[in-house]
Amino acid sequence: MEHGSLTDLSASTFSIMEEDHTLANSARFVLNQDPRVAFCGYSIPHPADRKVNIRVQTTGDPAKDVMKDALQDLMVMCQHVRGTFDKAVANHKSKKSAEEMDVDRK
Amino acid sequence: MPKKGTKSKKVVDDVANEQENKLPDYLELQRTRVVCNADAPIHTLGFQYSGAFAAMGVDNSVSVEKFCKNFKVEINRLTEDDIEFDMIGVDASIANAFRRILIAEVPTMAIEKVFMADNTSVIADEVLSHRLGLIPLDADPRLFDYISENDVPNERNTIVYKLHVSCPKGSQRITVKSSELEWLPEGSQLSMASSAQSGDKQKTFTSFSKSQKQILEKPLGVKFKDITIARLGPGQAIELEAHAVKGVGKVHAKWSPVATAWYRMLPEVVILEEIKGDNAEKLVKKCPVNVFDIEDLGNGEKRAVVAKPRACTLCRQCVMKDDGQKIELRRVRDHFIFTIESTGALPPEVLFTEAVKILEEKCEKVISELS
Amino acid sequence: MDPQQPEPVSYLCGDCGAENTLKPGDVIQCRECGYRILYKKRTRRIVQYEAR
Repeated sequence: MEHGSLTDLSASTFSIMEEDHTLANSARFVLNQDPRVAFCGYSIPHPADRKVNIRVQTTGDPAKDVMKDALQDLMVMCQHVRGTFDKAVANHKSKKSAEEMDVDRK
Repeated sequence: MPKKGTKSKKVVDDVANEQENKLPDYLELQRTRVVCNADAPIHTLGFQYSGAFAAMGVDNSVSVEKFCKNFKVEINRLTEDDIEFDMIGVDASIANAFRRILIAEVPTMAIEKVFMADNTSVIADEVLSHRLGLIPLDADPRLFDYISENDVPNERNTIVYKLHVSCPKGSQRITVKSSELEWLPEGSQLSMASSAQSGDKQKTFTSFSKSQKQILEKPLGVKFKDITIARLGPGQAIELEAHAVKGVGKVHAKWSPVATAWYRMLPEVVILEEIKGDNAEKLVKKCPVNVFDIEDLGNGEKRAVVAKPRACTLCRQCVMKDDGQKIELRRVRDHFIFTIESTGALPPEVLFTEAVKILEEKCEKVISELS
Repeated sequence: MDPQQPEPVSYLCGDCGAENTLKPGDVIQCRECGYRILYKKRTRRIVQYEAR
């Protein structure tokens, strides 16, 4: 859910249910790396409520678009992490099996 | 984010050369390293804001392209139940998200309901149930659905195990191990009391439409066969049925797929000023994990060198007293040594990819909510 | 079931563990060893627990 003013779209608070530091802190990091963002932070209003508020203030662009872009970027980053990790694992496994064959030969 | 060397001692100097404008060394150090002084670490926060150095003409933003270019993974160890790898070029917030997801949000199967027909052992019913819940099961959670409160237990969301043991009178007392848990692929065998008189087919606690043997490739069991569940004295018996369902660690730790998942930042030990002779010997002895070694300079001269910086636990023995000022302990801010210990349901490398997928799903969910 | 004729209940001896079947009015004493403490058996009804 987005809380913002109707006249100024450049600042909004997004309150996301059923999420915690896991998503909010990553999102805050990605938002902070975006040059369009003037300010960004998040809070968990009450530890017993499963909810986070992410505040985004931009230099002019609609906060909602910037937020969506940030999450999109985070997703692309995750995909890249997964791809790189899978490759590294496959590499490691093939290297290891090659080493084992060497041991057998000796 | 500029590339960071890991071993070279003058990293701080050569990192920024990709950028048009270079940050001064002391700022680059603050940006890329946490310095661990004898009393407390400094520069722990780093610079988050993309425009932090705008006035100096240095861009501190991380675009996806930059991230992809610099991100690296190196596997150090991979066994059946644990993995250690280096994750380089990623912020702590992302690394921590993966860690948190691994512990609390990657699903597994665990025993959730216990139907106790008999338990004459000394262990109380609820304690026994709790112990059963904690047993790691050898079942791939990806093959099962979540069960909600009003769902009927079926072959897609429930695994049924039976435990029926008794200790004969006059014999020695016996230990009940997890290997005695028997998988029932056809579902529950206990009949519900209410429907006992209603003639036709006896109603049980599950309604399997077909055997789980048809859905699964390999038989289900427990991961470890030597977990003690209870002890029975002569004449005592346990008869129960345990139903396992899919869940996540944030609901109850028994569903956590990892024993632990943790990361640490890469330690960097820098000798700022040469340490020679007896002082070198002293330094080598002082370090409990043998980070330092002695280099022979010929002509009887000896010098301390950093041999195994990775072993450093940051106990800070070396930066306290004596030659403390000559050594600096640092951690590389974007280099994480990640370790995952699986409890056995999924191999550790699969757990990590699952965790990353979950973070992706979270993003997707919020994006669609905003659209 | 006739309320006037309650069913005999079986108990376990607290000392030797032998099974004793008692009717109302019977002496509460184990038939095997004479021990005077008898325990009721556990129910065979299925009890459901949460494994938490």
